[in-house]
Amino acid sequence: MQGFPFPELDWEGTRPFWKGAARGELVIPRCRACSAFVWYPRERCRACRSANLAWTRVSGRAALFSYTVVHDVFVKPFAELVPYATGLVVLAEDPAVRLATLLVDCDPAALRIGQPLRAVFRPLPFSGPEVLAPLFTPA
Amino acid sequence: MGRAPDAWGVASPLEDVSGEVAVVGVGESEHTRASGRRAVDIAATAVEAALADAGLEPADVDGLLFSGGLPEQLDAAAFHAHFGTRHEIWECPRGGGMNLAATAPLEAARALREGRASALVNAFAVAWASQRAAMTGGPGQFHAQEHYKRNLEVPFGWFPQPVYFATIARRHMYEYGTSPEALGEIAVACRAHANRHPGAVMYGRELTLEQYLERPMLCDPLRTEDCCLISDGGGAFVMTSRERARDLRHPLVTAIGMGEARARTGTYWAQQPDFTATPQAFSAPPAFAMAGIAPVDVDVLTLYDPFTIAALMQIEDMGFCEKGEADAFIRAGSLRVDGGCLPYNPHGGMLSHAYVLGIAHVVETVRQLRGEAHAQVPGARVGVYGGYAGHMASTLVLARS
Repeated sequence: MQGFPFPELDWEGTRPFWKGAARGELVIPRCRACSAFVWYPRERCRACRSANLAWTRVSGRAALFSYTVVHDVFVKPFAELVPYATGLVVLAEDPAVRLATLLVDCDPAALRIGQPLRAVFRPLPFSGPEVLAPLFTPA
Repeated sequence: MGRAPDAWGVASPLEDVSGEVAVVGVGESEHTRASGRRAVDIAATAVEAALADAGLEPADVDGLLFSGGLPEQLDAAAFHAHFGTRHEIWECPRGGGMNLAATAPLEAARALREGRASALVNAFAVAWASQRAAMTGGPGQFHAQEHYKRNLEVPFGWFPQPVYFATIARRHMYEYGTSPEALGEIAVACRAHANRHPGAVMYGRELTLEQYLERPMLCDPLRTEDCCLISDGGGAFVMTSRERARDLRHPLVTAIGMGEARARTGTYWAQQPDFTATPQAFSAPPAFAMAGIAPVDVDVLTLYDPFTIAALMQIEDMGFCEKGEADAFIRAGSLRVDGGCLPYNPHGGMLSHAYVLGIAHVVETVRQLRGEAHAQVPGARVGVYGGYAGHMASTLVLARS
C-alpha cells in the first residue's frame, strides 16, 4: 500500500469510490429508501437512517463551489504540483454533495465560483503508483 | 438558543455558573520559535508564573485542568515531578487550550460545587515549532491521519489547514463581497497591538496594509500574514471561588458566561452546510445569555485566530455585526485598541503574539480587565474569549466586578 498523499485503496469506507475511479466512473453512496446521497460515506443514510445504501454512478457534471490556488509547499509530495488549484465542487445531481478535487486543464486565474465543470479521470499527479482519480476541468 | 434542532450546529446545554469562579492568577512562558523545549516544561513554567501572580504556592493547588487529547500536557504527575509536591490533586483532562480554555472555568465551577477542589490551575503548552522542525508532529498531523480526509481530501491537494481556510475565505468573498482589505486589517491590527507587547513573537516587526497587500499569496486569497505563527509556548490561569478570591491580591475577575457548541459535520469542513460560518453562532448566544450581556456590552474581545478569516467569521457569528457585514465593520477600524468600538486581540493573537492555542488569549483578557495589559483598553469591564477548534466553538465571558 502506497503512503501519504495517496489514498488507502482498500479502506472499506471509500473503497468503492476508488474502484469506480479506476473504471472511469464517479460513484457516490445513495440511499435506496429515500434517494438521498450519503456524503461523506456512512453506514446509514443521514436523512432517513436506512442502511440500504448503494454506490451509484453520477454524471460527473458539477459546479465550482470554492477553490484556492496553492503557491506554497505545505507538504513535500505536493512540491511538484505547485502552483496548483484545489477546491470543492458540487454535483449537478445534488449541490449538497461536495467533493474535494484538483482543478486541471484550466487557467487558475480564470476560475470563477459557480462555473460548470466535468469530471475527468487522471492519475494522481504524485511520484509513485498510478492511481486514477476523478479530477475536474471546465465543462 | 432558539435554533432549529436540525440546524448544522448544536449547543451543549450548560448549567448556569455565572459569577461562581474567579480567575485569580495568570502566567505565561516565554513564547518563541523552535526552542528545543518540551511542552510539559513550558507548561510548568507558565504555572509558576500564574501561581506567583496569584500569590499562591504549588501546595495550594488541588485541581489541575489540561488538554488530555494532546501529548506532553501538565497532568498531576508532571506537576508533582516539577514542583516536588506529593499532595492529592483532582485532575480534569477537559481543559487547557483551544475551545477548552473557555470552558475550563465551567469545569472548575463544577469541581468547586462538588467539593473536589478549591484552587485550580488550567495550563496548556505546545512545542509545535520544535516538533515541526524535527518533523515529529504539528497542527496538520491529526488531519493527515483521519481516514475520510486521507482518502477524499488529501489525494486532491485539499490539505492542510491553510488550504481549508483559503477555500472558506474565497467562498465568503463570493457570498458577501468580503475584501482582501478586511482580512488585511485583521492582520495589521494584530501586528500593531503586538508591537506594544514586548512578549509577542512578532514584536518590533511593523506591518502596514500596503505591505500586506503587496505580499505574495500563500494559497490565494490568503497570504502568510493571514496565517497564525507556529510557536513554542504556553500559559496558565488559576481559579478559585468568588469568596476566596476576595482575600487575594488582584481586582476580582469572574467568569459570568460560558457557551460551547459543535458542528454536526465535525472537522469535515468540506461538508459543513453553512460553509462560511463557525459554531460560534450556537455558542456565543447562550454564553451572553448566561452573562446577561449583549454583544454591544463587550469592552475587549480575544478570538482564537488560526487565520484572519476564522476571526472574521466569528465576529459575525457572535453577533458583533450582522452576518456578511464584517467587511465594512472591520475596515472601519473597529478592532483597534486605539479608538475601535471592539478592541480585538490586544496582545496580537495567534497571528502576531504566539500560536499557543488560545491560552494566552484568556491570560490577556484577564490582564485587560485588571487594567494591566500592554495595549490596555481604558476601563475595560467585560471581556470575551472566543475559542474555536473548527468543529467546536466556545465562549467565555469574564467581568471585573
